[in-house]
Amino acid sequence: MKNNKKVAIIDYGMGNLFSVKLACEKVGFDSLITNDKPEILQADALILPGVGAFGDAMNALKKMDLAETIKEFIKSGKPFLGICLGMQLLMSESEEFGMHKGLDIIKGKVVKFSNKNEKVPQVGWNKIIKAKDWGNGLLKNVLNNEYMYFVHSFYCQPVEKEIILSKTNYAKIDYCSSFQKENIFACQFHPEKSGEKGLIIYENLANLCQKKN
Amino acid sequence: MKNIRIIPRLDIKGPDLVKGIHLEGLRVLGQPEDFAEYYYKIGADELIYIDVVASLYGRNSLIDIISKTARKIFIPMTVGGGLRALDDIKNVLRAGADKVALNTAAITNPEIIKEASKKFGSSTIVVSIEAIKQPDGRYFAFVENARGQTGIEVLSWAKKVEELGAGEILFTSVDREGTGLGYDIELTKKVAESVSIPVIANGGAGNLEDLEKIIKEGKADAVAIASMLHYDFIKNNLSQRDSSEGNTEFLKSGKTFSKIKTAGVSEIKEYLAKNGINCRK
Amino acid sequence: MPEEKLEAKYGLPEKVIFCKKCVISNQRPASAVEFKHTLNVGHRTMNIGEDGICDACKFAEKKEQIDWLEREKELLKLLEKYRKNDGSYDCIVSGSGGKDSVQTSHLLKYKYGMNPLTVTWPPILYTDYGLKNFNNWIEIGGFDNITFKPNGRAMRLLTKLAIENLLHPFQTFILGQKNLAPKIAVKYGIPLIFYGENEAEYGNPIADNATSLRDKSYFTAQNLNELSLGGAPVPELISKYGLTMDDITPFLPLDYKELEKSNIQVHYMGYYVKWTPQESYYYAVEHTGFQARPFRTQGTYSKYSSIDDKIDDLHYYTTFIKFGIGRATYDASQEIRNKHLTREEGVALVKKFDGEFPDRYFNEVMDYLEIKPEKFLELCDQFRSPHLWKKVNGEWKLRHTVAKDGADD
Repeated sequence: MKNNKKVAIIDYGMGNLFSVKLACEKVGFDSLITNDKPEILQADALILPGVGAFGDAMNALKKMDLAETIKEFIKSGKPFLGICLGMQLLMSESEEFGMHKGLDIIKGKVVKFSNKNEKVPQVGWNKIIKAKDWGNGLLKNVLNNEYMYFVHSFYCQPVEKEIILSKTNYAKIDYCSSFQKENIFACQFHPEKSGEKGLIIYENLANLCQKKN
Repeated sequence: MKNIRIIPRLDIKGPDLVKGIHLEGLRVLGQPEDFAEYYYKIGADELIYIDVVASLYGRNSLIDIISKTARKIFIPMTVGGGLRALDDIKNVLRAGADKVALNTAAITNPEIIKEASKKFGSSTIVVSIEAIKQPDGRYFAFVENARGQTGIEVLSWAKKVEELGAGEILFTSVDREGTGLGYDIELTKKVAESVSIPVIANGGAGNLEDLEKIIKEGKADAVAIASMLHYDFIKNNLSQRDSSEGNTEFLKSGKTFSKIKTAGVSEIKEYLAKNGINCRK
Repeated sequence: MPEEKLEAKYGLPEKVIFCKKCVISNQRPASAVEFKHTLNVGHRTMNIGEDGICDACKFAEKKEQIDWLEREKELLKLLEKYRKNDGSYDCIVSGSGGKDSVQTSHLLKYKYGMNPLTVTWPPILYTDYGLKNFNNWIEIGGFDNITFKPNGRAMRLLTKLAIENLLHPFQTFILGQKNLAPKIAVKYGIPLIFYGENEAEYGNPIADNATSLRDKSYFTAQNLNELSLGGAPVPELISKYGLTMDDITPFLPLDYKELEKSNIQVHYMGYYVKWTPQESYYYAVEHTGFQARPFRTQGTYSKYSSIDDKIDDLHYYTTFIKFGIGRATYDASQEIRNKHLTREEGVALVKKFDGEFPDRYFNEVMDYLEIKPEKFLELCDQFRSPHLWKKVNGEWKLRHTVAKDGADD
């Protein structure tokens, strides 16, 4: 069942884009894996996925001139979703393999879990807990304490606490597992790997597009 | 305590789901797609697909199965069997897999772990270790579906793969695999405690207590289960096609494997929750 | 250049043909009459029809048409005649705790209510997991067992001679095992003998009845001078090698006069029950804790078949030398017929494993038999038939392989 909305999925050579694409298609999106500036800017929604090291990712984005494109898209007000590493790249800096600068779209640091209390990375399912009302955004219709699938060693510490949508507990730390600032959405977990509940998030993304139009 | 993952493991040969004992024997139990969809529906946390003859026979059947399944199943899928080069990994990921399991390729050329984790991300690379006890008591890692000797001791190899950048270890006790005699708790514990990456225990689950033990005593971060789940599925579901391939005598007989107390995913999670082990609900 | 006429040893067919369905070739020998087994006797070999399909594959196809319910009825009738409910044995199962004897004995006892006596001629050199499987058969499966271990001196000498004269390490075992069950049958008055699956006897339920056994035995007793063991005539075994009739008798069949009085029958469970060797493996694991070999058998890809004798691996190496057929070929052919493998997979496996030298137990076996390893390798070269082997750059290569990559392909 198509929704006639176009979503661009940024291809910067990192991350498994195909699961994201399949999830988008499942909810009716027209999806395009691309790093072409005009195609990205034309899309109704933009997804920045990512798997791998922060430093490598930033280098790739810069090389392909995508940092500016992303910022420009976000300025347009259309919905933007950062997933996992894609969420972390929005931040100011990350301590992965030395200090690296991020896109600095969201103020804050990316720090590593200590492995004193649990194995790192976190690989598996964990509950997302409401930090504030979820309203009509990314997590609409998702239940509080729903399980989502996580794979990460680092987590975001946004300076503005009020953008935090959900928190999750791992290794004795309550960390930010998703946030929203205006049209920027980000989740540390992988909604395309979180079963039917995760697909709701993609549906919500589609609905956000329709709202804007 | 973190949430433990319950992962059905599907051994594949050609178009069939098969189940061996000690990774030997190719008893056909049905069509992989049927099992996968069922497990997804009833709450499996991930799926593992292993092409059990790829390394041995030089044949790769998984791309088809993965592409079909990836459109309907939105939980992580790990795919292994006969992946020899970075291109093989790329193709499998493109077909819809989220992680790849490497065994033979990793032992023959450990550098591939490094290269693959750099290119695709550490978390994408799972190293599969098949352990068999030797007459002198040591445990060696085997390749090619538990047939090729390497003379490499399992513990030191596990530590090495972590160093090289593997994201997880899928650890199989071939001696226990398919027997229903329980996981190798002692050995799994040694491995789990010697690395800081997650270890998925595999091989031997025969009843619910085995699962509890391997998590609590064996320190497994996740459990892979095959016989217990598959024989449970075929009790109530028919998964058969008119295939010219594979011997379906067992399937037609309607029998089961009496050494194993079969159970479904929800039953398993309920039991574990009752015994203090958290799982995704 | 005129075409070379290559000698085909052992009466083997000059042209090498592979079955179109499985991977066996027409060089595969049928069971020899071991007493007449000398170098000069030609082997009967596997027949491959005009359509390119071997008899074994044809038989496998026919298996699909069989009414197994009818066969089971036949079995029940047979067992009805022999079943004893007074604690005495009513049938004999011959074997050493491998998957076939396990399944045969277990079905007879637990499904059909018989009281089998298991009878074992042990492997020449037990592997430790093989011995464990044997013990588990008896202890977990729950069977009474008589094991006859022959005098080691004679066994070693005859085995050594069989290797030196025939390159046939397994002759003594084959003889001993085949002849043991009838002897026990007569001694204990248990006329019904069961073996497991039978490849060679297509469609026959009764391979040997008292008449045929007695005929063989008569033949043996009357013509001792014409018989050979280990490739050496019996009189020579006595005069040259210092063996006595006492030493040799265990390897010969039962005295024909005794057989005359008996009404022994040898049946194959594989006639009455649809037999899938791989499923027998699962059955054995399930019911007696059978364990596969903890490593791949050299010369093949499998781990569950014939794993209890260290000499077995060497035996298959010699079939590779003499007939160009190694263990992987045998295993793959069986599994193709039973649909576990496609022919393509079988070819890949044969290419990968056939003819692999079994070095794991080689030195131990040579020590036991007091044969110098170099001597064995020399013997191998002597036994290679020119129509099968060619020396290429100092290395022996098969002229024809199922993968079509032989020296002359």
